[in-house]
Amino acid sequence: MSKVNLKINGKTVQAPAGSTILEAARLAEVDIPVLCHHPKLANLGSCRICLVEIARQPNLHPACTYPVFEGMEVQTESPRVVEMRKFVLDMLFSERNHHCMYCEMSGDCELQNLAYRYRMDRWSFPSPHPHMPVDATRKYFLLDHSRCILCRRCLRACSDLAANHTLGVKNRGADTMICADMDLSFGESSCVSCGTCLEVCPTGALVDRRSAYMGRTAEVQRVRSSCAACSLGCGVELVVRGGQVLRVESDWDRHNEGVLCVAGRFEPLEQTREKITRPLVRRDGQLQEATWVEALDALVSGLRQAAPGGIRAVTSGAVLSEGMNEFVNFFKGKMGVPVHLLEPALAGSELAADGGLKDVDAADFILVAGGDPLASHRVLGYRIKRAIDKGAEVWLVSGKETEMAHFAARCLGLAELDSAVAHCMESRSPVVVYGADLTAREAGRLARLRGKARFIPLAPSPNGHRAQVLGLEPAAGWAGAKALFVLLESALLQEGWLQEFRRPQFLAVYASCRSPLTDQADVVLPALQWYERQGTFINMEGRNVDVHQAVEPGGEGWSVQKLFDRLSGCMT
Amino acid sequence: MSKPKIATDWLAACAGCHMSLLDMDERLLQVLSLAELTSCPITDLKHPPHEGVEVGVLTGAVNSTTNIAVARMMRKRCKILVALGDCAVFGGIVNMRNYFDMQEALRCAYVETPSTVDGFVPASEELGRPVRARGVDQVVKVDVCLPGCPPSADAIFHVLSELAQGRIPVVAGETLKYD
Repeated sequence: MSKVNLKINGKTVQAPAGSTILEAARLAEVDIPVLCHHPKLANLGSCRICLVEIARQPNLHPACTYPVFEGMEVQTESPRVVEMRKFVLDMLFSERNHHCMYCEMSGDCELQNLAYRYRMDRWSFPSPHPHMPVDATRKYFLLDHSRCILCRRCLRACSDLAANHTLGVKNRGADTMICADMDLSFGESSCVSCGTCLEVCPTGALVDRRSAYMGRTAEVQRVRSSCAACSLGCGVELVVRGGQVLRVESDWDRHNEGVLCVAGRFEPLEQTREKITRPLVRRDGQLQEATWVEALDALVSGLRQAAPGGIRAVTSGAVLSEGMNEFVNFFKGKMGVPVHLLEPALAGSELAADGGLKDVDAADFILVAGGDPLASHRVLGYRIKRAIDKGAEVWLVSGKETEMAHFAARCLGLAELDSAVAHCMESRSPVVVYGADLTAREAGRLARLRGKARFIPLAPSPNGHRAQVLGLEPAAGWAGAKALFVLLESALLQEGWLQEFRRPQFLAVYASCRSPLTDQADVVLPALQWYERQGTFINMEGRNVDVHQAVEPGGEGWSVQKLFDRLSGCMT
Repeated sequence: MSKPKIATDWLAACAGCHMSLLDMDERLLQVLSLAELTSCPITDLKHPPHEGVEVGVLTGAVNSTTNIAVARMMRKRCKILVALGDCAVFGGIVNMRNYFDMQEALRCAYVETPSTVDGFVPASEELGRPVRARGVDQVVKVDVCLPGCPPSADAIFHVLSELAQGRIPVVAGETLKYD
């Protein structure tokens, strides 16, 4: 790539041709303030805070959109530039309500930081105090229009990153307002509460309801981890203070590129189920709190009574790899007991899992078969919608009604799978997204695309890939089971998972939350909560992703490894 | 040369800025060794002396005709006027009232509050008339602005000791806070 030589504040800089002054300045470690610019969003140049002076040009120009040229001389903090920035700040502060004293974002606000930087100790223009509404119709976050500076980061995040196109603007000039769809309240709109807009907002206009006023950036810790809500394994940052997870933000450097979904960002913190923090043992027909020693005793005797042929073990595919390995080692390896998977498995294990989100970006044709990414793997769904915006064609083959059907160019029944496969063959860089609704026979028909297309599985459980590697499959039935151990952890048991299930003589459940299954159990072992565990799982790209412990365990829960380490000692 | 004189007064304020002034603790003595405090709402002498002071300090927003009169008197009797705190500088939390109709706001405050019994909106001739809330600089010229809700004792000490020594203080860095 050709290079361009320029001077920024007298410092010689070499920047790639076509880059902006802002990009060149960052190479030279010169700090130009920004508001509407965001590194992951297209530049707009709407806020004018990044204005710089270019030698031999009469006007100031925005650094975020102005391209560099050979011999350019730029001043980023000259008296003229500083005066203009102060003027821009004055205008921004005079528009709406920017009183920091009662704003949730005070201390973390990009607008406030700039006012401090340019020593704004008074406002040059009195605020007209327009009465602006607050839209609190969404469950998880609200929009206070009076804090909005109309930078349109939210709008670009909604369209360009989440590809949801809910946000827009209405009116003109000083009356401009951010709005949803055709001016609906957010609660009624097409908003999917992915929260990407919330994360890019530079001011206190978009506020997370749960964590509001609970801690500023300087007072919280951030733990990088992975979302285990589905098999995408999106990069997240858990914002933690005082042993509590305040909120979930996204890790912009990972494959999800800053986008999360409601299931990963908000729902994990909306835990309404009762936590299990101590071991429980059934005595006289009642589940009663017990010590770990008592619980292990009860477990060992329950398993011994059913041994050798009557024990069955089943794990959720949401359990992390280290725990799942330990579980299989103990039951299959040591005890010779068959181990099953709780969640349904994908048909067509011969199909590869060689595609990733980057392949979706580059695809010209995407075949979605037997699943709905917008329901089960939403960030992948948004990525597919993004590909559609860029011109990719999406065909949907499904026997059910799906959300994705609104965006697909063609919707076919499962019987017409062959025509979709034929179309796929003619495409340049196709991607096949396949889900659990496919039978083995239909998966076999897709297998013809191996080598031609990249495959992305919609695994029904986050760590289903590991379960597949370990050879775990859903059990056909439970006849003959005298004792059953369920490694449930935080998974929410769904209908049909335990087929023809009848409570065996002895039932032990390892779980983090109370459920109808734990209520039936003879022994309940407290698991770590989702934010207390540490380990890895294999995501849909076939990569190991890390899950980090965000807070110290609050109850008496043990990790799966610790449980089976102790249990091994007891059984020998 | 005699010590420069300082006078303070409050407008529509919660008194927090004056509490923060007291928060200077033993540094109050340092300020008083450099300057004379002639009057202050929390001392016996409430009004700035007729002969004038070098530094006048106002806290709180302008909210009524009384506030306007107090601000004008202070402006007339001081050489350098300091607006101290978010309310004096920007209008602060008092500005929130501007989002409501004045009669509605008065009724809410004097009649409808749950703790009020037989409430009525006071209408005595002696009282000031409420006006649109605003910062002090929209009524009189202000020379030094120190925002903060309230400004820290350190910031107030910095501003007063600079002024007492004949310098115009620079409000920046740790001294400049809006909350």
